[in-house]
Amino acid sequence: MGLISNYNLRSMLVRKATAAMTAGGIAMVVAVFVMTLAIAQGFRATLVASGSPQNAIVLRKGATSETVSAVLRGDVPILESLPQIARDGDGRPLASPELVVIIALPRSTDNQPANVPVRGVGPRAFALRTNLKFVEGRPLTPGTREINVGRLATGRFKGLSLGSDVKFGSNTWKVVGIFTADDASFESEVWGDVDLMQPAFQRNGYQSMTVKLADPSMFDSFKAAVEGDPRLMLEPQREQDYYADQSRPVTTLISVFGTFVTLILSIGAMAGAMNTMYAAVAYRTREIGTLRALGFGRLRIVSAFLVESVALAAIGGAAGCILALPVHGLSTGTTNFSSFSEVAFKFRITPALLAGGLVFAMVMGAVGGLLPALRAARIPVARALREI
Amino acid sequence: MKYLALVLKSARRSKRRTALTIVSVALAVFLFATLRAVLDGFTAGAAASSSTRIITIRSTSLIFSMPTSHADAIRSVPGVRDLTWANWFGGIYKDQAHSFANFAIEPESYLRMYPEILLSADERSAFLADRTGCIIGESLARTNGWKVGDRVTLKVGIPTYGTRDYDFTIRGIYRSSSSAVDTQSMMFHWKYADERSLVKGQAGWFITRIASPDQEAQVAGAIDAKFANSPYETKTDTEKAFASSFISMFGNLNLLLGSIALAVVVATLFVAGNTMAMSVRERTTEIAVMRTLGFPGGTIFSLIAIEALLMSIVGGVVGVVLARIAINPRVLPSGGFIPEVSVDTQNIVVGLGLSAVIGAVSGLIPATLAARLKIVDALRRVA
Repeated sequence: MGLISNYNLRSMLVRKATAAMTAGGIAMVVAVFVMTLAIAQGFRATLVASGSPQNAIVLRKGATSETVSAVLRGDVPILESLPQIARDGDGRPLASPELVVIIALPRSTDNQPANVPVRGVGPRAFALRTNLKFVEGRPLTPGTREINVGRLATGRFKGLSLGSDVKFGSNTWKVVGIFTADDASFESEVWGDVDLMQPAFQRNGYQSMTVKLADPSMFDSFKAAVEGDPRLMLEPQREQDYYADQSRPVTTLISVFGTFVTLILSIGAMAGAMNTMYAAVAYRTREIGTLRALGFGRLRIVSAFLVESVALAAIGGAAGCILALPVHGLSTGTTNFSSFSEVAFKFRITPALLAGGLVFAMVMGAVGGLLPALRAARIPVARALREI
Repeated sequence: MKYLALVLKSARRSKRRTALTIVSVALAVFLFATLRAVLDGFTAGAAASSSTRIITIRSTSLIFSMPTSHADAIRSVPGVRDLTWANWFGGIYKDQAHSFANFAIEPESYLRMYPEILLSADERSAFLADRTGCIIGESLARTNGWKVGDRVTLKVGIPTYGTRDYDFTIRGIYRSSSSAVDTQSMMFHWKYADERSLVKGQAGWFITRIASPDQEAQVAGAIDAKFANSPYETKTDTEKAFASSFISMFGNLNLLLGSIALAVVVATLFVAGNTMAMSVRERTTEIAVMRTLGFPGGTIFSLIAIEALLMSIVGGVVGVVLARIAINPRVLPSGGFIPEVSVDTQNIVVGLGLSAVIGAVSGLIPATLAARLKIVDALRRVA
């Protein structure tokens, strides 16, 4: 340990420029790694926050998302009568029949038409989603053309601020409240009364029903009851599972892309680290010979140089993480192709991701420094001492 | 040029270092060319759009349909030369993982309005004659191993098309003469979907041909005016705008891919610059001797700079060759809704240019330092 801290780590500082450039190369790779995975994490977090463990979403049998599902008007009272559904203070079932359509509104970043999700909800929708809080205005009044808008939506699309009149479905609707929901996908949506939205969009019936179960463990009996009823062609899912499935295609795409880019970039950075360490070994051949002559074993030398390389890479990795940090919380958006609607989300850097970046940097340092370290140990002592 | 031998000798001095530098530049150029190819793949369709076709959709959003009776009103607008329509079907083949674009078209007029769709005369007439026939893009056919005559079954995705599965017979496999039409889609007869639809006579979007591009704004305005204040208001725009709105759905691709490309370049500059600096430091004594012998500073500068440039360009060539081989539709999994990606000549040229820039920039500082080296200091230094 003494050799490493006294000799190797301090040797890094002797050739500052070279060390800095190598660390710089590794820093860039780690920064790209962290930033692209932060996108994937952010998207996933938004969709997962949308699902509550106590809620279930009921869709048509075989429907892959709300937008291609259908729940008939007649199904609603049958579902609401099921005992597994929680009830509110007045004994009414905590269930909300819903319908999602898409309206085109200009995006504030590039003015292109964006697919904004408009969700018609039942009166008890707000009681169902416990992480929903109003930051401006108030909840909409059922039976009126009042609408509520998620905060991320007001930032991303034009014309949705408090008090605005929004025209769609051949009517005009007024924004009376803005809500947040822990960055869930609902924050990218516009909410209105479902029974007024149906005729406005020439629809007849709902697409889904979200229910709050009296207890999360009741899901299985709820599912059996719904699927066993011959009058219903419906299938319930846990809300969390539904949203996890929805986020999977996009998250996978981003992660694969990010990993591909980073892997290739890392080979280049490792080549750079290898270069640096070979040069370091060549530069210090005489010193290594001296150490060997003094009695330091080959293994000590190898591990010492390996640690030097890993330490240098770790510094680069830390710098890369710091470089990537500013993107945390940055708002962006993409289209969730399962639902064809635009989802606004934020870059999300987690401690696990940063740790991953650091470990990745150290692996690059270890792989890049291995061969040079082995070479350092293999130089015959007598020859090493003769080098100038 | 007489010093070329000297430059090559210097590069071969440390084969390993030269090789490692070439590898990192090659990878950087490979990545850069790939990122550009991906961006091109997404934007190609919009860029190749026809300037004499305009698209009409519901003003509310694309997911709402319009009655096909709108066609008559549109045809009566002055400046309209031809008309067709299509419906997004969204059928599911096997499961979500195998999904691809499939839509119902008004067959005769659609094929007439999209001359980019290339079909043999036999396949064309076979398709037009068979109401349950369909045509498949050649890339999609290749992905699924389909031939003319195969049967394809799609499950209904969008509830408005009913509940029974749809069976099709492949009557033709089409190629495309332009990026405006991709070959990963399937098209079939609108009537077949209409007869089973819960609401009849609906069109997803109308495509209108106008006489000349400068009439676009006027004709588009006239079409929308016909349906203003009706329950089926429309929004008409150029084919390019329509295609661009799909690209923008992915997010700000330009910014994302551009930032990554920038990071790639900066990282490589660090690595390549480091190598040149190390190489020069090793040769301090030699450079000093050369200066003593009378080599002017400018020559020393050129020697180092050319060495850096050479290594980078070799790396660049390796990188573009790799990119050309690896990044093309036959090797890469594409399909579904991700556009085909391939590296074209322009990307190759930009890639090589990039490697030259990396070489020049990375060699700049070491070359300048070498040229300005004080002979006395240099000779005093021991290795």
